[in-house]
Amino acid sequence: MIKLIEKIEGEAKLHFSFKDEKIDFVDIEFLQTRSIEKILEGKNAFDALVINPRVCGICGHAHLIATVQALESCYDNIEISNKAKIIRELTLNFELIQNHFKWFYFTVLPLFGYKQAVLKAAYPSQIMGKAIASIAGQYPHNSYAVVGGVVSDITNTDIIKLQQYIQETLNSFEKNVIDLKTDEIEQYVKLEQLFTHKGDLNQILEDILETKWETLGKSFDRFIAFGENSFFQKGKSIKTRRFTAITEENIKEFSNVTSLAKNVVYGDKYYEVGPLSRAIINKNPLIKHIHDKYGDSIVSRIVARVVEIPLLLKHSQQLLKKINLNEPSYIEPKIDISKITASGSSSVEAARGSLTHKVNLKNGIITEYNIITPTQWNLSNGTKQSPGISQKAMFDLPNENIAEIVFKSFDVCSVCTTH
Amino acid sequence: MKILWITGLACNGNTHSFLNYPYLEQFLDDFEFIYHPIIDSNYSLVDIVSKTISCDILLIEGSISPEITKADKKLVDIITDYSKVVHKIVTVGTCATFGGIFKESEYENISGLHFDEKNLVQSFLNLRYKTISISGCPVHPETLVNTFYAIKNGIELKLDEYLRPKEYFAYTVHNGCTRNEYFEYKIDNHNFGKKEGCMFYNHGCQAPFTHASCNKILWNEVNSKTRVGQPCMGCTEPDFPKANLYETKKNMGIPANLPLGVAKRTYLTLAGVTKAFHINRLEKDMFDD
Repeated sequence: MIKLIEKIEGEAKLHFSFKDEKIDFVDIEFLQTRSIEKILEGKNAFDALVINPRVCGICGHAHLIATVQALESCYDNIEISNKAKIIRELTLNFELIQNHFKWFYFTVLPLFGYKQAVLKAAYPSQIMGKAIASIAGQYPHNSYAVVGGVVSDITNTDIIKLQQYIQETLNSFEKNVIDLKTDEIEQYVKLEQLFTHKGDLNQILEDILETKWETLGKSFDRFIAFGENSFFQKGKSIKTRRFTAITEENIKEFSNVTSLAKNVVYGDKYYEVGPLSRAIINKNPLIKHIHDKYGDSIVSRIVARVVEIPLLLKHSQQLLKKINLNEPSYIEPKIDISKITASGSSSVEAARGSLTHKVNLKNGIITEYNIITPTQWNLSNGTKQSPGISQKAMFDLPNENIAEIVFKSFDVCSVCTTH
Repeated sequence: MKILWITGLACNGNTHSFLNYPYLEQFLDDFEFIYHPIIDSNYSLVDIVSKTISCDILLIEGSISPEITKADKKLVDIITDYSKVVHKIVTVGTCATFGGIFKESEYENISGLHFDEKNLVQSFLNLRYKTISISGCPVHPETLVNTFYAIKNGIELKLDEYLRPKEYFAYTVHNGCTRNEYFEYKIDNHNFGKKEGCMFYNHGCQAPFTHASCNKILWNEVNSKTRVGQPCMGCTEPDFPKANLYETKKNMGIPANLPLGVAKRTYLTLAGVTKAFHINRLEKDMFDD
């Protein structure tokens, strides 16, 4: 049977095969592609800063940051002020946070029979949008990060506003998602500690435990993260073993028969990316405890994504304190882009996981561009013998409705997957 | 009032921009989506394409091509069917209005509903009388929602040649930009990363000839791109995106695109006059002693 999965930033078709009343295989089909990589060919390198945010309406800012870093990596020596680096990290954090609120209240709640909580999603997302806009002019779709830094020259007034936006978003999280002082969550090491508080997350977790769905959605227990900044670490994890030496060169992308989206492997294996992956690689004690207990299941994915909200907000508060307003926002590169013939690449942690951009430039003109999105990692459409991460997670489930819960636990984004 | 929100070839940026409308609770009391790309609706996409469900406004996001299907039905057929039952059609964003950024993708005959960049598309000519275009990449949430309310309240909006409400598109992005003084006295933003300077002269800012009210109705209620120092990229216009977006195209040292309605000769006279000014206050950094 075929099920059209809707409201995932577009649609996808899941083609289910059953054997002995269990899912035997799922073929994942994405239906549209905009050929952004081809659109970029022949264009001035800087134009990618305007085009690439338009890959995605919900994580376009990650595409901007990946683009600017990939272009900067084409220079032998380029100086970026610490202030510009912090500001870029902050706006990206804010994008991740708005995404996670939307995913939890728009996507997760209905999967467990609740009505969407539109306002609980929209209010904190709007605040995070304001925070991005106060630095970058608007959200979504700005191009404020340029090669050499950022265009904005923020002032003390902006810093105060940003502090308030962060605090207001924390308040919204505490009021609705988990009723606790978010300072505490950084100290938590056990899922049971979360259960001592009320809130919408606990309601969902209680429902999962009650229906004994806590181990649904297990895949290969292989995680990878390429984006590195002052919060996220780079590395991979297989079962409980962690490795830090990974390189973008080993990422391979290839077509599959059914879908317009390309598959992605590291070496020759599929890996999961996203909040659960980075929490495991970052050795977050709470998520590690949940993962030890329930594996790479829907419980671990849901908690990892939701708990990333307060952790990123807290970290953003610290980052904000580190901004030295006397530093330049932008340092003009010594070499004009029209003199650059080189290859570059960059990875950032986007809301759904590692996002990699690779570029070839000839005299400042793009000759080749390659975008590898997080959802390509998680939703790779492999074969029955060699299934992708989400395919493996749906094996042996009793019906397509439960499979949809597992599928959506990866925070599916159709537009990114095909781009 | 019931709205059908249907998506063609898009990034969903308009959907997310809409979610930034500050009075969403009130809006959702006043309007119902029979389908929306994110917000739950009484009908699924499969329901929407398998019958024609009663509604008042057909909203189209994303570029349109005869090759694009939604739930196995051609997008152009969905538009044709629903255009018969709705009072108004609203094209949301630059893709649905002019074709936009994805015009360069590999689908056949890709365009906006009525415009292929500046050219009129023949296929839906009979629907022009009921269409309003709200261009922008993405759409400004308040412009979109205010247009819905105008439709609901039976207000006849005055439209420009591209069917955009003059109330929002008779302005240029330049109106209200906090860098206007630097424009007036021709003080360029020599470098990014400054509060000071105008980006029109060297950095590709299209604000003086782009129709939109970004500096009147601020983004996310707080700011605009030009205010922070990012050049306006002309995202509401039929030819978005142009090429070499961070550079000002010039002929013999004069910007090739002048502020709307300004003749080249008058511009040159004015440029001569402004050169006579040396305004220390504007030539130094604003917070310096």
